[in-house]
Amino acid sequence: MPIDSPLTLLVLVPLLPLVAALVGVVFGRRLGGWAHLPAVAGIGASAAISLMLLAGTAERVKSASNDVDSATSVSVEGVTTLWQWATVDHPDLPAARPPAAVGSFSIPVALRLDPLTATMLSIITCVGLLVAIYSAGYMHGDPGYPRFFVLVSMFVFSMTMLVAASNFLLVYVFWEAVGACSYLLIGFWYTKPEAARAAKKAFLVNRVGDFGLAVATFLLWMTYGTLNFHDVTAADGTLLPGILGPARLHDAAGYVGGAVGAAICLLLLLAACGKSAQLPLHVWLPDAMEGPTPASALIHAATMVTAGVYLVARCAPIFVACPDALAAVSIVGATTALVAALIGTVQNDLKRVLAYSTISQLGYMFASLGTGTLLGFSAAIFHLVTHAFFKALLFLGAGSVMHSMGGVIDMRRFGGLRRIMPVTAATFLVGSLALAGVAPFAGFFSKDEILAALHGKGWPHAHAEHHEAGPAHHAAVGPAVLPATGFSAAGTAADFVSDTRVDAAAADSAAVVLDRPATWRVLFWMSLVTAGLTAFYTFRAVFMTFTGPTRVPDEAGHHAHESPLPMTGPLVVLAVASAVSGWWLFTTHALADFLAATPSFAAPAVAATAVPHAFHVDLAVQGTLAAAIGIVVAAFGHLGRRSDGPQLERFLGPLRTLFAEKFYFDPIYSGLIVKPLQALAYLAALIDRLVVDGLVDALARLPAGLGAIVRRLQSGLLQRYALAGALGTLLIVLALTWRMRS
Amino acid sequence: MTTPPTSFESFLLLGPEIALVLAALTAWLGGAFLGLRWGWPVALVGIGAALGIARLQPATAASAGVTLDAFSGFIRWLVLVLGGLLALVQSGDLFLSASSRGPGRHRGGTCEEAGTFLVLLAGLSLTGLASDLVTLFAGLELVSIPTYILLALKRSDARGQEAGLKYFFLSLVASALFLYAIVCLYGLGGSTDLGTIAARLREPAAAESLRALIPVALGMAIVAAAFRLAAVPMHFYAPDVYEGTSPGNAALLSTLPKVAGLVVLARIVSLSVPLELFWQAAAVLAAVTMTVGNVMALWQRNLRRLLACSSIAHAGYLLVGVAVAAAATPSTQQPADPAAAALLATSTLDGMSATLFYLATYAVATIGLFGALAYLGHRWPEWTSGSGPRPPLEEVALVDDLDGLSSTNPVAAFAIALFLLSLAGIPPLPGFWGKLSLAASALQVDWTAPVTFGSRRAAFVALAVVLVVNAAIAAAYYLRIIGAIYFRTTKRGVQADGGLAAGVAMLACGLIVLMVALQPIGLFTVASRAGSSMSRIVSGNTVGYVP
Repeated sequence: MPIDSPLTLLVLVPLLPLVAALVGVVFGRRLGGWAHLPAVAGIGASAAISLMLLAGTAERVKSASNDVDSATSVSVEGVTTLWQWATVDHPDLPAARPPAAVGSFSIPVALRLDPLTATMLSIITCVGLLVAIYSAGYMHGDPGYPRFFVLVSMFVFSMTMLVAASNFLLVYVFWEAVGACSYLLIGFWYTKPEAARAAKKAFLVNRVGDFGLAVATFLLWMTYGTLNFHDVTAADGTLLPGILGPARLHDAAGYVGGAVGAAICLLLLLAACGKSAQLPLHVWLPDAMEGPTPASALIHAATMVTAGVYLVARCAPIFVACPDALAAVSIVGATTALVAALIGTVQNDLKRVLAYSTISQLGYMFASLGTGTLLGFSAAIFHLVTHAFFKALLFLGAGSVMHSMGGVIDMRRFGGLRRIMPVTAATFLVGSLALAGVAPFAGFFSKDEILAALHGKGWPHAHAEHHEAGPAHHAAVGPAVLPATGFSAAGTAADFVSDTRVDAAAADSAAVVLDRPATWRVLFWMSLVTAGLTAFYTFRAVFMTFTGPTRVPDEAGHHAHESPLPMTGPLVVLAVASAVSGWWLFTTHALADFLAATPSFAAPAVAATAVPHAFHVDLAVQGTLAAAIGIVVAAFGHLGRRSDGPQLERFLGPLRTLFAEKFYFDPIYSGLIVKPLQALAYLAALIDRLVVDGLVDALARLPAGLGAIVRRLQSGLLQRYALAGALGTLLIVLALTWRMRS
Repeated sequence: MTTPPTSFESFLLLGPEIALVLAALTAWLGGAFLGLRWGWPVALVGIGAALGIARLQPATAASAGVTLDAFSGFIRWLVLVLGGLLALVQSGDLFLSASSRGPGRHRGGTCEEAGTFLVLLAGLSLTGLASDLVTLFAGLELVSIPTYILLALKRSDARGQEAGLKYFFLSLVASALFLYAIVCLYGLGGSTDLGTIAARLREPAAAESLRALIPVALGMAIVAAAFRLAAVPMHFYAPDVYEGTSPGNAALLSTLPKVAGLVVLARIVSLSVPLELFWQAAAVLAAVTMTVGNVMALWQRNLRRLLACSSIAHAGYLLVGVAVAAAATPSTQQPADPAAAALLATSTLDGMSATLFYLATYAVATIGLFGALAYLGHRWPEWTSGSGPRPPLEEVALVDDLDGLSSTNPVAAFAIALFLLSLAGIPPLPGFWGKLSLAASALQVDWTAPVTFGSRRAAFVALAVVLVVNAAIAAAYYLRIIGAIYFRTTKRGVQADGGLAAGVAMLACGLIVLMVALQPIGLFTVASRAGSSMSRIVSGNTVGYVP
């Protein structure tokens, strides 16, 4: 395979959906009912290319690790710079750290390919493709049919660019772009007031996070003097290390800690919280379910909301330099997971249950990222992958139910649907088993890894023998670079760095506030409880919807039926993926080994935390036990009964109100932020209308009055015009003469 | 400084102009003797040939009475491009009179118009090249006389004749004034050669007794140029004439004479007469002109009158750059603040360059607008079936006639909106870059000096403020038209029965506007080169004649 071809193909991955979107914009009306074709074709081709790239990158990782040494961690990345977007050369531009190019600010439009990006691209395009196919059935007959597919294509374009971009400014641009697509899709039925309101809410809440990303970008540039991820070789041959390039990754003092480092990390965390709906910015996601269900599946479950996870994972070396910030990531994540799961237990709207479950699962990923270990990062991405499959499946299943029930989504109003829609019921059950973490299904393995990562931080000595058992992982081999020009691979001197890190940790132990075993133990138990709650609310939904006496709401009419093939097909595909992907990826360890070659994870500080692959029986038992308890309680409450019958919730007492009111986040925000701002806006509007407008109106009358005078001069009489010209000449000549004299 | 004799090289230098005249002869004679019915294709071929010849010529050259440098090259290039666009508009401008009964579709015999138009272009291009007062005057008359003919040819109704006569008489006044100015300058310099006059004026011992002639010469030349620019105090004719004539002629009048007027002013700047006087006059006229034009336009309902007023206002903007060029010696000190210096270095043009840039962007947008009007042609008057037979079509004349155009003719609606937004100076359209560079060049004058009352810097800061305020006033009436197009509905059907060529001109102008909006640097570079070649003459490093 020629060296350049993967990088050329990489450009096609975002390009094809963009072309599809443009075709949809231009010809959408003409295509009418066929408007899904460009989107399906574009995203489909893009998915095929993504999978090829995934395979190619995996191949490269394998050959790189064979070439170097089996014991060395390798990193693989390819960067292609399309063009220089903006270049400002000025000697006064600041650069706090000398290696950065002083006096130049340059933003290349550069795309990168590494294991993390390849994984993300595959997930985005594959789920995108399935959702596009599904939507062809689901959105059929909607007046906005072409618009929907344009938006989906635009979203896939923006999201693939987001994960492929190789500098922070591009990431920011597409971070905003996916936000805009999300806004447009939530408000897709913009004539519905709730949808419009939900879209606005999502947009505004996301702005808070975007602000974080913007300031983090500024800080990164001030600190590192560049925004590139990759290293750049300047024209004069000097190497300008990027923020996440190999040169800085292997520099023991490459990343700042302290206040600046913590600020960068916390701002990035804020950004991630906004996009990934983590506490305290999670309030937009449940409302976002007002959008079309396929959009919810694609954007608000499988892909866009994982952008935050991606961002933190990508910035892993920056976070690892700040243990407290890492711990904060975990604390946010585990708390979100628990709170969202608690709220999810009392929701009656099927889509909202899934929305809270999404928030909760994303919380898991954050908890895992926060451990700062290779296991934690790869477990988070592992969970991201499996979650994308089973959550998209569940959402599409919920959409199928909604489609058939005439738009009703309140679980109390239907039951026993397994008899009406067997395919949906079966696939939904598979998705639920995966979500609940039941043994051979996908969620079980990824959740087990996350629990293992947390457990490893909470009880470090229990895992110590793993470290000793696997010395091969730490063997120090000098950096080795493959001759390939597009890709580079480098070995890491892992032990050396890990030693210095331990020393540094010892020295700083007084300063570290959050990163203590006790913290991690609490987080572990929170996660375990969350696992039980997850199983409970998932199966509560399954039992309420699909079991018990058959009941169909009036809105569905007499034609409640199984959904058409374009809808059930993707369900089946996703169900198969949800069933086997976890088992396959876990047992072969393919994903973890693959991801470990991502430059960010191959950084010595991260790679040093590698532990040998192991199946933690004790944790598996604990997790399964929690899930089993949840399912049993759900069965006790809801299995086989009328879904609006006696509910477990009454045992909760006042807590039920707390959960049902979603911990009062919305009223609190409304009272603390929205209402004061509204008052301020009202005041500003008043001043604007009375004072500013009054002034402007008065000023505007001036030209109008002047115009009336000037127009009177416009008599239409030639003699007067000539006279005016002559007088004007005289005046000018006299004035000039006077000026020259004086 | 010796003037090289007229030679074969002179003819080579004037190759593009000669090609235009030859094409004009072809059109005239072909129309008279060969039964040639369509003159405009000949005009386009002639313009194309002229462009081709112009490309072959060296960047700088000189001969008796004519100098080819970056400035005159830019003017020639601008004239030919605008000429091509205008030829399209003119040939699509199919209407004989404002109350014609339906479109005069079968109007052959355009050969006379086309030939006259080509001579006009040749004269204008010659004006740009002129380095001698006689050549300059000849060029200007070669612009004026064909204009009278075109005005008279296009419309045969009373209003058209009135418009033609008004323009004719006032233009005569302006020409007479310019002749007086030439006489005075000759008296001052003892030569008609601009370089010689400039050298003589720079001599410290220039005859004191003659210095009284300077204000007279300056004042008359300025008024003569003001007529062509449609600036105060010779602006009155514009609304009447534009309204009375056809859209094609209005497009011509609002662009080509402005080029001539600007060349006259630029040549005066290059004379380095006491420029202190000159910039003050130009600055005052600029402020008054743009204000008068904009407030007059504010309540206009007739589209062509409105655009005439707007063309007056734009003449005011152009004068801002001329005033800056007269005031600022080209070696403007760099500001002390490095960030500001970087900003200025990357984003600003000197006064003359900014003016040339602005002129180009204004002309393209204006031609596009009139092209769109010519293309839209007629509309049905309001009529209900009960009130007798349907009245004949009427010409699109009022702002209201464009109501709801976005639904009946979205392409034209979009193009018109684009031109209006550019004229209003909305980023990132070319008009914005033009206004930005004009204002920035004004602010750049004496950048390091404090803003004290009565200082040059204060005057130019004030001028920049007046410019920006005027841009805001202008936005009101431009946006009113866009509002009519996009936010109102109508029962009047706009026919779009004008010539297709006018539509092509509209699309071409739209394309140019978009291209300049996306990539202004190209036009910036060209205008900057042309403007700074003028500045070099001012600073005394007169380009020596190439032996």
